[in-house]
Amino acid sequence: MTTKIVQTEDLHKTYDKDSAKPYEALKGISLSVNEGEFVGIMGASGSGKTTLLNILATLDQPTSGSVEIDGQDVTHLTANQMADFRSKKLGFIFQDFNLLETLTAQENIALPLSLQNAKAATIQTAVKTAAGKLGIEDLLGKYPTQLSGGQKQRVAAARALVSNPSIIFGDEPTGALDSTNARELLDTLTNINQQGVSILLVTHDPFSASFCKRILFIKDGKIGDEIDAGDKSRNEFYQEILEKLGTFEQ
Amino acid sequence: MLFKISISGIKARWKDYLVLFSGMIITTAIFYMFEAISTNDKFTTSSPVGQNAKIVFIFGSILLAIITLVYVFYANNFLMSMRKHDYGLFMMLGAKSGIISKLIILETIAIGLISSVVGIIIGIGFTQVLSHFLAKLIHMSLTNFSAFYMPAVWTTIIMFLVLFIVAGFLNARTFVKTSALELLHSGQQSDWKQPKSLTLWIQAILGVGLLAGGYYAMYDIQRLKLMAIAIGLFTIVLGTYFVFNSFFVMLLQAFQRSSLSTKGLNSFTLAQLKFRIRDYTKILSVVSLLFALALGAITVGTGFQNMVPKLASGNGYYSVAITNPNDRMNSLVNQIKDKSTITYQQKVDPQAKRVYYRADQLQQQPLKYSEFVDRAALKSKVSTSKLAEFKHVDSEAYQELSSLQIPKVKAYQIKVVSAQTFNQINTRTNKLLLVRANNMDAAATPLTKITNIQSKQYGDQNGQLVGGSFTMYQLLKSVFGSLEFMGIFLGIAFLAMLASCLMFKILSGAASDKVRFDMLNKIGTRRAVLNRSIIVQILGLFALPGILGIIDVAFGLQMFSRGGLLVGGAYQTFGITTLGFLILYLIYFAVTVLIYSRIVVPKTKVER
Repeated sequence: MTTKIVQTEDLHKTYDKDSAKPYEALKGISLSVNEGEFVGIMGASGSGKTTLLNILATLDQPTSGSVEIDGQDVTHLTANQMADFRSKKLGFIFQDFNLLETLTAQENIALPLSLQNAKAATIQTAVKTAAGKLGIEDLLGKYPTQLSGGQKQRVAAARALVSNPSIIFGDEPTGALDSTNARELLDTLTNINQQGVSILLVTHDPFSASFCKRILFIKDGKIGDEIDAGDKSRNEFYQEILEKLGTFEQ
Repeated sequence: MLFKISISGIKARWKDYLVLFSGMIITTAIFYMFEAISTNDKFTTSSPVGQNAKIVFIFGSILLAIITLVYVFYANNFLMSMRKHDYGLFMMLGAKSGIISKLIILETIAIGLISSVVGIIIGIGFTQVLSHFLAKLIHMSLTNFSAFYMPAVWTTIIMFLVLFIVAGFLNARTFVKTSALELLHSGQQSDWKQPKSLTLWIQAILGVGLLAGGYYAMYDIQRLKLMAIAIGLFTIVLGTYFVFNSFFVMLLQAFQRSSLSTKGLNSFTLAQLKFRIRDYTKILSVVSLLFALALGAITVGTGFQNMVPKLASGNGYYSVAITNPNDRMNSLVNQIKDKSTITYQQKVDPQAKRVYYRADQLQQQPLKYSEFVDRAALKSKVSTSKLAEFKHVDSEAYQELSSLQIPKVKAYQIKVVSAQTFNQINTRTNKLLLVRANNMDAAATPLTKITNIQSKQYGDQNGQLVGGSFTMYQLLKSVFGSLEFMGIFLGIAFLAMLASCLMFKILSGAASDKVRFDMLNKIGTRRAVLNRSIIVQILGLFALPGILGIIDVAFGLQMFSRGGLLVGGAYQTFGITTLGFLILYLIYFAVTVLIYSRIVVPKTKVER
């Protein structure tokens, strides 16, 4: 039996609950991500995908429902417990890289481990390993301003990987890249995924989504549809996503 | 329509505007207070050194105006950093640049006008409180002084209005030149470049060397004379700049290389601080120099004041001499706690122009007198007179006794005679009461009343001819009092300005730091760790110029003590003034940390 890395049960999120006009962003979402899966979440703006991602990433808490990550219920954690949980169990790749310009690539990658107060030697090894997986060993001494967009995003990916997280969350990670660099990053993510790391990608870009193995479509705070890549080629899956989007959005 | 959006934009960020306004209002208030006191003739001419003080006040006023300029500039940058996004949006929506310019100019001037008016009103209150507080502190009378002074109101309004109109136009120009997209994404770019290590080394060595040279010049003021000040000014300004631009950066780099930097957020904190110091080199240098000026002004001012009792008691052993004291006088003398008194009988012969004293009384209760043994250290020695000394007019004892007579009799010859002879002289017997207050500062109130009664009694002689060292004390107090007043005043005004400048400079960078802190929160940094990092970063920016400023003063005071200006050592009040100064500075630091954290630390979204 496969282990479930992420499992949510009937998630609800209502903003301005006590006001005259409460807004229900999530209306009962139940989903699961298995260990080693590469799952995409697609949906139009305002569909609730960012709210969902924030809750899964322990940046926000649901109004009702449960979220389990790596077997742990994360809906009842204190702020500090949530922070510790993020630093140990989760990796993040953001749209605009979010690297610190005043730190070298090496220091940027090391940040999550420093936060856990890991030993210097441990950090050294972990950074080398993560950099090796992404082929950026030569860039470790450089500052972000000396790197190209694609290189920056690979450094950001290494930072997400360095603490051996249970899952990596990507929030439109290719949004700020040109097509070549976007392609390169997605290949890298696929590569990481093949090494056994679970990935959850939030995107509205069909090309990025086509690299996933399974896609959940969100509409008006609910999961509207789900498709599986199965044995299809990436190109076939891409066509299927386009078709699905065409009908789903109406 | 745009006006409406503009107002709603301000409403949404009213807390940030509150910070801006309170800063502007305090600046205006301080400027008004300074103008009101420095340009007010009633204040400056009521002290004996009024004219000299006025020149220094004008000098201070110019310095203050320059700092105010810098301050308004930074406050304005802070304002614009808050509005950039909104204006970018307006332009995106198709607002013409002319309308945007008008809006910016109006907004800037409106803010300037509101803060000027409120600032002046508060400034009048400040002036009232502070002038009386300081006057009381240094026993100066401010009878004709009024806190409301129309010329000062005008100067302040004109000064700030001009500044804000200029600032408004400058803002408008920068905005119109920047594209809408850049405005929308402002604060997301950073231009950090790692400085070359050779440049760092050269600048660090140059910086430390220049500072050392400047400190030496001030130390060697006796030989270098005025050149010391010229050399000091040049080398310390340049040295400070280089030290910030390189020395501190290298220091932080050394920390970064140590194992310390792998713990928690240390690497981030150190890197941010390093980046900030290089980015803020100019303002940090200015803050450090102003800090030194302000602290120096207060220390020197209080130092002058501190030497008054010593100078005065070296000039005479007895504080006051009272001829034929009445009940009122006796009760005033009784109010002096720590004292010693002597009473002599005295007969005055106006025809022969002679004053007679009884030898037996001078024998039993010998007159004491004090003289300086070391003028530079303000050390004086107390001696007891011998009877024979009164035969020589130029003896210390004779001079002391002579100075203690009432003004009319001062020129008379003193004759010491036997009790028998004394009794045969056919005039009224006077009583001369000599009072020595061991602590003149503590006894200042009754002593002042006594000398006031005396100067009325003996005609308008400005109190100076009344016998006793307290009149000297009063004279010195009024001379040094205005120096101290100005020192403290300038010091506080400078401190408030420089700390506000630093605060706004740091706060205007907060918007661009938001993204960084947001990311750190996402990758799992605890709130407390984020807050600690902010405290360390801001502490670094406040502490480094402060430390350098204190070192500047520590060496700069050499000029005063070795140059002989501040006799008795310039360092006596250094500790206490530095402490008081640091407390005020710390308040600014705390406020900056609070506001900064509020802007950058992401709110934890924990319900329940």
